[in-house]
Amino acid sequence: MIWFGAEIDGPMIVTRTVHFAASAITAGALVFRGFVAEPALRAAPAATAPIDKQLRATTWIALAVAVVSGLALVLLLTMSLSDEGPGEAVMSGALRDVLNLTQFGWVSQLRLAIAIVVAICLAFERSALWRWLALAAAVSLAASIAWTGHAASTPFTLGYLHLASDALHLTAASAWIGGLVPLALLLGMARRHKGWTALEFDAVGRFSMLGIVSVATLILSGIVNSWILVGSFRGLLETGYGQLLMLKLAAFAVMLAFAAVNRFALTPQLALLSDDTRQDTLRALSRNTLIEIALGLSIFAMVGVLGTLHPAAHLVK
Amino acid sequence: MRHSSLIPVVPLLLLLATGEASAHAFLDHAEPRVGNKVASPPREVTLWFTQKLEPAFSGVTVTNPAGERIDGGKARVSGNQMSISLRPGGTGTYHVNWHVLSVDTHTTDGNFTFQVGQ
Repeated sequence: MIWFGAEIDGPMIVTRTVHFAASAITAGALVFRGFVAEPALRAAPAATAPIDKQLRATTWIALAVAVVSGLALVLLLTMSLSDEGPGEAVMSGALRDVLNLTQFGWVSQLRLAIAIVVAICLAFERSALWRWLALAAAVSLAASIAWTGHAASTPFTLGYLHLASDALHLTAASAWIGGLVPLALLLGMARRHKGWTALEFDAVGRFSMLGIVSVATLILSGIVNSWILVGSFRGLLETGYGQLLMLKLAAFAVMLAFAAVNRFALTPQLALLSDDTRQDTLRALSRNTLIEIALGLSIFAMVGVLGTLHPAAHLVK
Repeated sequence: MRHSSLIPVVPLLLLLATGEASAHAFLDHAEPRVGNKVASPPREVTLWFTQKLEPAFSGVTVTNPAGERIDGGKARVSGNQMSISLRPGGTGTYHVNWHVLSVDTHTTDGNFTFQVGQ
């Protein structure tokens, strides 16, 4: 299928989208637990067990999807390179060659090892050290995607800047977009518990701060990535890559608008109003968060396509 | 921006089309230069690409004016650069065929010619 001036591979793009989203939610859920839920739960110990259970379930599911989709990506690439079916690609040695002879293969093996570390930490966490190790490993799982994409291919010293910027971009996107999923789940639980007002207010406020830091990081790293991959306004306007990037920026801007409404219009109401109005506010916050998640998933899908397109900087001299 | 070109992006999540992966690493330049004439047969051909390459999945063949392969077989790949040594092949038009896998896992291929002689 021809889209944005290039043939694109549907199964690969869908698998990439699922993998990016699952990796981001794995990291985002643990960042949310470390920087939002745990500090907010100190004042509401009764809510700790159900929220921690839900956060762990979210992380386990996202991690499982990330591992399966990551393995599927390796198999799809092998099939594409060897022009073989799935069974043949494994038996002929093509899969072994991709795993052992390409950077994508090495990084995929390393990322599988990181996913196993996350799983071990989740299974055996008995102290804060295990929880912080799980968080660090999950962030590494998301950030290391940079070593399999455009940033890994940028030659010369510029390549190091591109990798650092892309890893930061992925980390910030995971913290914000991935963190929206546990936020939506927490808001859903809060609607069923009348005594959680202080917890909701604290958690939503902390997530707003996390969001502000993440958005600032996304904007700065996004500028660096765009400068390297697009390079000019002409590249932004005249290439399929640039046009899809602008659509991604538009979705990002709409997400920001919803985040601003949540932060400046809805969050202050949580602390002030009666129970009925508080329920309305929680409902509005939940609805906006779900819309932000949908927009975030569409951004992951666009990133899935962008990774298969020619960077604009290569097309416009 | 042409809005019509953005319309197909809306159902991105539903995209299930099949096709070949897009290419990424473009040939930036080569030595001998693409389409140029050199006085004597070169000892090697070097190609520079816009992205870093995977050595195990990248290669190049060179044929002389008689259509015989005169390359050393195994290309040397370093970063975004690929070189291959040549045996002497006389005067006339040389054909260079290359295929590469960029580090971001996209394949591309191409060909060009250069001339040898006065």
